[in-house]
Amino acid sequence: MFSALGNLQPRQLAAQILNFALVLSTAFMLWKGLSVFTNSSSPIVVVLSGSMEPAFQRGDLLFLWNRGKETQVGEIVVYNVRGKDIPIVHRVIRRFGGGSAPLQLLTKGDNNAADDTELYARGQSYLDRSKDVIGSVVGYVPFVGYVTILLSEYPWLKTAMLGFMALTVVLQRE
Amino acid sequence: MADTKISPHSLAELKNTTDDALGNYLRGLKFEQDNTKLDVRLAIGYASVIIAAATFAADYKLGWEATKTWTAVAVVAYALLNGAFTYWMWAVEKGCVFAGVREGKKISVASKTKKHDPTYYLTISSANSESRQITAPFTTWFTADGYFVAKPFQQWLASSVEAIGNADSKNALRDQRDEIASPSPEVELTPQGNGTVDASGTDGKSKGSKRSKRKG
Repeated sequence: MFSALGNLQPRQLAAQILNFALVLSTAFMLWKGLSVFTNSSSPIVVVLSGSMEPAFQRGDLLFLWNRGKETQVGEIVVYNVRGKDIPIVHRVIRRFGGGSAPLQLLTKGDNNAADDTELYARGQSYLDRSKDVIGSVVGYVPFVGYVTILLSEYPWLKTAMLGFMALTVVLQRE
Repeated sequence: MADTKISPHSLAELKNTTDDALGNYLRGLKFEQDNTKLDVRLAIGYASVIIAAATFAADYKLGWEATKTWTAVAVVAYALLNGAFTYWMWAVEKGCVFAGVREGKKISVASKTKKHDPTYYLTISSANSESRQITAPFTTWFTADGYFVAKPFQQWLASSVEAIGNADSKNALRDQRDEIASPSPEVELTPQGNGTVDASGTDGKSKGSKRSKRKG
């Protein structure tokens, strides 16, 4: 299998490696393009917990839009707790400010008993719409995101997938 | 060249192996390969990969908010470069597998295959003439179990293409070249002694001894 690679001229080897590099970079740039379009740092997120049941289940894929400045009560937003990298998907139950004043939000999971004040960082009792919120949910696909959960819980899966992809693209010359 | 076995059922492998062999053969005949087309493709491709890598690095180090504008610019640049890349491959390269010069004469070879058709289509354009298309089934130079045999492939090329035949006289069979130049009729008319014409195609004299004995 690898002998086929050994017979290649150096330019052709470079061309094969380019093919693999283009697959990776195109996927990445498509993601970044979507980020720029939605103005969100993470335009597609996976639901990690059951705190929004029955609306969203663990493993659902959510599509976000971050260009709506006036988030209303009842909208579902995704935010990062200050200092942590875990996205939380909850519903807005109160808003303060808005218009010319900076917009502040209080959120709560549908399936939770209490609002999110416990979840926010120490000293933080509300969310800043412009700083903390990644976007509002505008659509979703059920269950598809479970792959991401598996990839994060079993990190060797990521390496295995990438290695397999690299092998097939470099050795295939179609 | 190593005796590598390929799958004779995969059209892509047949074509790629033949393309590689073509390049090796021509380079062996001292055709100087002109790599400009491939180099431009590699340049465009790697430029876009570098832009993607730079965007990734910036995003990793500085985060989303700080790099938003640069990312937007990079995405547009990447899309344009990728479009140029695809256009280059489709319009300019157009299946070119070898371009080179020998003794001042340029030659450019492009190959293609058609789906579910085990035939090799070559389009050759040399400096003096316009492009010609020659075809041959892959079975001419591949065994049934997938081994490439160089001799029939080289003979086919040397006999069908003047520029290659001039470079490799050993493989350019005179009969075949003449065939291509002016095909002979299937049957020869040979006059017989008794006024009739024998169209059987056999030379009466050479086999005549046996015949006349039996008849006589």
